[in-house]
Amino acid sequence: MPLNYKLYQAYPTLCWVCIFVLLVGCQKQREAPDNTYVFVKPANFPEPTYTFKNNPVTKEGFLLGRRLFFDPLLSKDGSVSCNNCHIQSTAFADAQQHPLSIGVENRVGIRNAPALANLAFMPEFFWDGGVTHLDFVPINAIEAAFEMDETIENVVKKLNESTVYPALFKKAFGVDKVTSPYMLQALSQFMTMMVSANSRYDKYQRGEGEQLSDDEQAGLTLFQAKCGSCHTGALFTDFSYRNNGISTTFSDEGRARISEATEDIGKFRVPSLRNVALTAPYMHNAKFRTLEEVLKHYAEGVQPSATLDASLQRNGRLGIALTSEEQRKIIVFLRTLTDNDFRSDERFQNRNEE
Amino acid sequence: MKSLNILIISILSIALFAACKKEDAATPASETGQMILQFDNKVGSEELNLTESGGTVYPYKTASGQTFNITKMGYYISKIKLETEDGTVHEDEVNVSANAAEVKGYYHVLESNSSSQLITLKNIPAGKYTKVTFTIGVDEDGVQEGAAGGVLDPAEGAWFWNWNAGYIGFAIEGASPNSSQKEVVGEGWKIHEKSFALHVGGWKDVAPASGQTQKFVNNVKTLTLALDSPITVSEKLQPKAHIVVDALKVLDGVNIDFATSYAIHAPALGKPLAEQLSNAFILHHVHQ
Repeated sequence: MPLNYKLYQAYPTLCWVCIFVLLVGCQKQREAPDNTYVFVKPANFPEPTYTFKNNPVTKEGFLLGRRLFFDPLLSKDGSVSCNNCHIQSTAFADAQQHPLSIGVENRVGIRNAPALANLAFMPEFFWDGGVTHLDFVPINAIEAAFEMDETIENVVKKLNESTVYPALFKKAFGVDKVTSPYMLQALSQFMTMMVSANSRYDKYQRGEGEQLSDDEQAGLTLFQAKCGSCHTGALFTDFSYRNNGISTTFSDEGRARISEATEDIGKFRVPSLRNVALTAPYMHNAKFRTLEEVLKHYAEGVQPSATLDASLQRNGRLGIALTSEEQRKIIVFLRTLTDNDFRSDERFQNRNEE
Repeated sequence: MKSLNILIISILSIALFAACKKEDAATPASETGQMILQFDNKVGSEELNLTESGGTVYPYKTASGQTFNITKMGYYISKIKLETEDGTVHEDEVNVSANAAEVKGYYHVLESNSSSQLITLKNIPAGKYTKVTFTIGVDEDGVQEGAAGGVLDPAEGAWFWNWNAGYIGFAIEGASPNSSQKEVVGEGWKIHEKSFALHVGGWKDVAPASGQTQKFVNNVKTLTLALDSPITVSEKLQPKAHIVVDALKVLDGVNIDFATSYAIHAPALGKPLAEQLSNAFILHHVHQ
């Protein structure tokens, strides 16, 4: 059996060659993981909801999206960009002096502008969840009379007439003419890359050598027991809509505006708490200026109404049983969710490189 | 080693050939043809003639006696299917893309644009078709792919709701002396006194949790119309199915009172209108 014998001998050699080739292949990839313009899901995050198959992130698309994000051309009178209400130093929430967003001609908005982070993982957007795909989010800011008060049609016209944009759209998408879907996709490329997952809490959770102090640890345990039913998972939200008792009546009906169900009046999105120490004031109507006020509200300020969340009216009492010491510890923990890498990430800064 | 290499190469070659053969088999070169769906908007038995926005001539009348005119009428038609006598279904290709040229299977039929009223279906396998099925509006599949071009591009006239993201599936606008609409003037736009705007949208289909009421309203409707005689599709023929869309069937179907129903811009309010669409789209006749 000379042939069989030969085969028997050849297999190990062949296997080693294969393994060597594989190893070399792997090593090469490990040496140069330039993820500057690559969407990377953090290990402790869920799968993204964004349709990357229709709009994969590229360097050119991301840079174009960034330019658009910072460009007041999107507004009617060239005075307001996305960045007006979404500022990096506050994790892309609004400035703390602006409890409600400020649009063109200093028009005051109706709600507190939310922080922009981890948008690739969100199933719905805005305080009422009226938008179900990230691509459609900017249309609202552009066309709302109290934000940019512009039409999407006219933005596209201005982009086509610009001396810089047509070439950038050509580079990013290979198109000869700017159209709205590509503008929206570019903005989505920029926004999906805004992943915040490098807080001290993340590093602790992923076992990257970070330790939490005793107070922070105690705060985490308390948080999970007292707040974790709604602020759950890696993003600290269950993506539901709830009435958290900040009022007894609601001129802004919140989720009911979208679901058209009376049982949703006064319900608003459970927000993610990532970077929450940076994103004051709090709630859709900016009712609370500090985290201390927020925790105090849950402990002793919850107001009754027909749609108040069941979790805030247990055992015949309103709110969550929390001593002031427990509130303090929870806030100490919440501060570990601040991601300073995200706040200072140069990719998200207004620099127009080609 | 030599014999091993030969063995591996042989196996690879066989595998490659097998793969190629499969692909060949998947694209049989059988005969295909075209067919046209023509949408013809009417008001009862009268042809629809649009009135200029702001016009105060009211050529039409509801069953309850309210006179009115129409300044705009249209709808999205999507997911068109043809069925043969033996139940074989041909589906019109559907695709959502940022690239307008790659948007397929979504048609925005507008009274103001006569070419939009003719939908040419291509690459239909030759055969005898007896039923046509289509969707009025843009369902979840069309919305949840994200920003789209062509007839779905809001900068190019797509009917898009920003605040409750999705497309308006069916709309009639006009004016009636009975309408309670007051004049509203904005920068570069105007809502005329006595006008009305009936917008039917809403695509979310969420089953209510036990003990809860239905939330959201899905106003996207799918209709199947039987052809009065079977249509033969072949390479040489270009048959046409003529579909009448009767605005009066929608308005009288809800016994509309323009004094109270003049601004419909949310799914729940549009639901009664959406439920009349199956009466309003009528297969009138076919041309072989």
